[in-house]
Amino acid sequence: MSHSGPAGQNPFARLGRLAFLGATLVFVLLPIAWLALGSLKTRNEALALPPKLIFTPDFSAYHKIVAQGFLGAFGNSLTIALSNVVLTLLLGTPAAYALTRIRGKVQDNLSFWVLSIRMAPLFAVILPLYVLFKSIGLLDTRFAVSLAHLTITLPLAVWMLMTYFRSVPEDLDQAAMLDGATHLQILLLVIVPIARPMLASVAIVVFILSWNEFLLAFILTSRGSQTVPVAVASLAGTMSFDWPLIAAVSVCSMIPALLFVGFAQRHIVSGLASGAVK
Amino acid sequence: MLQDWRFWFLAPMVLALGIVVLFPSGYLVWMSVTHWIVTDPSVYFDGVQNFTTLFKSASFAQAVQVTALYLVLSTILMLALAFGLALALSGPGSPGFIRAIVVMPLVIPPVVAGFTWRFLMNGEMGFLGAFVLPNVGITTNMLANPTGALISIVIADVWSRTPFMFLIFLAALQAIPRDHYEAIRLDGATALQEFWLVTLPMMRSAVVIALLFRVIDALNTFELIYVMTKGGPGRSTQTLSLLGWKTAFQGFDFGGAAALGVVMLVVTTICASIVYRRFLRMPS
Repeated sequence: MSHSGPAGQNPFARLGRLAFLGATLVFVLLPIAWLALGSLKTRNEALALPPKLIFTPDFSAYHKIVAQGFLGAFGNSLTIALSNVVLTLLLGTPAAYALTRIRGKVQDNLSFWVLSIRMAPLFAVILPLYVLFKSIGLLDTRFAVSLAHLTITLPLAVWMLMTYFRSVPEDLDQAAMLDGATHLQILLLVIVPIARPMLASVAIVVFILSWNEFLLAFILTSRGSQTVPVAVASLAGTMSFDWPLIAAVSVCSMIPALLFVGFAQRHIVSGLASGAVK
Repeated sequence: MLQDWRFWFLAPMVLALGIVVLFPSGYLVWMSVTHWIVTDPSVYFDGVQNFTTLFKSASFAQAVQVTALYLVLSTILMLALAFGLALALSGPGSPGFIRAIVVMPLVIPPVVAGFTWRFLMNGEMGFLGAFVLPNVGITTNMLANPTGALISIVIADVWSRTPFMFLIFLAALQAIPRDHYEAIRLDGATALQEFWLVTLPMMRSAVVIALLFRVIDALNTFELIYVMTKGGPGRSTQTLSLLGWKTAFQGFDFGGAAALGVVMLVVTTICASIVYRRFLRMPS
């Protein structure tokens, strides 16, 4: 049925499909529209009910992001996410490549280990990491957060890259070996150039995950290296409920993800599902 | 082994994961058998005391209940919505921009999702909670009411996490070979029969995978609930991860929180090994 034209030729089925899609779109878009509109209103306008749909846009909330020092949080998030991407690719690419060139028990056990980390509850590592980082004085540093994010991003990247490297024929390795290349040279000069689009997708997925992550950043930072999601949550907890400001910070926090999502949509699913779907 | 290049390619990753995952989880097990309350200077080995206390505590029983209820409700809604969307959007004629919109919530930070829904549902100034719902005759203050708060969280979670399930189902639907449908159509099957005899059986493993990922995801859900209700009112939306956070960082009982962490770790490892053994093992 999915290939015969959706829901067949029945006009009722077609109408039902349209109604269902319409309702879903309203459901999906309402909060996003609400945020975007809210960020452009004044505080009184934003709280007015019934909502004001026609109003003159007011950009003071965006000015406040700068004025109240929230740029620091954006800087922290950017530094953490970027260094996490670099760390993840540096550690993950050779490992994923080696895993696809091993057979048998070692490969099986290591793959399972990587996958089970991907699925482990964050809560299980947070408490020990907190104690560990505290004892070596790394609490509230961007380095600690970006290291901690490896628990989420590294297994995912390895899994995504493994699925990809398996499709690269081993004949290529062999040909390069005959030419006298070392394994490191094969990886850097043969495999990486072929895999460049995939590496870019992995980088994007990793960036978004690290940028959006809350729990680790929340527990491991206090003030100095707060990330954007933590800043949003702490704004939400304050008594002076400045909805336009929160909305403006939220809108800005979605920019990188929305920029990338069109490009990486297909890889995000295969990545997040850890090769469950091909 | 040291001569094998693969060892050197794998070692940095294993070392890194060892530092951020393996060592911490070992440490967690040790913490879970330790009497360790931050405000109390004496830290000592305490056997399974933390586990007995945990299993006997009312807040643990309630957190299990809340987590289960939240998991079941959100999963049923997500399954229905994701499956419906995948069916409606898998045909060749469906515009790509609708898919892009439907997937958008997946990349929006869950904190932002939770906060926006909290504001929408607010009983005094929220568009839904104070305007739409009262106009259709629902006057309960959603977030201040135990049932309402749980429903609000489920709605926000469905909003945020359905795209993931949708993408899994969409990929699986599009992977069903065309000739399966052509064969059954030659036998004169109706659209409904096609669905029952071809689509559903072919989707079985995608559904199982999506469900297992969902269970793990739901156990991990933290920030959405944290920003929406902080587990309240009372303990009515306090899931296991919220309880763990409260035990550790408000009750300062690191030992007790670690015991809860160990329990959650065991449950998810079992789930992970089912997924791996049955669906994801690489061909060797």
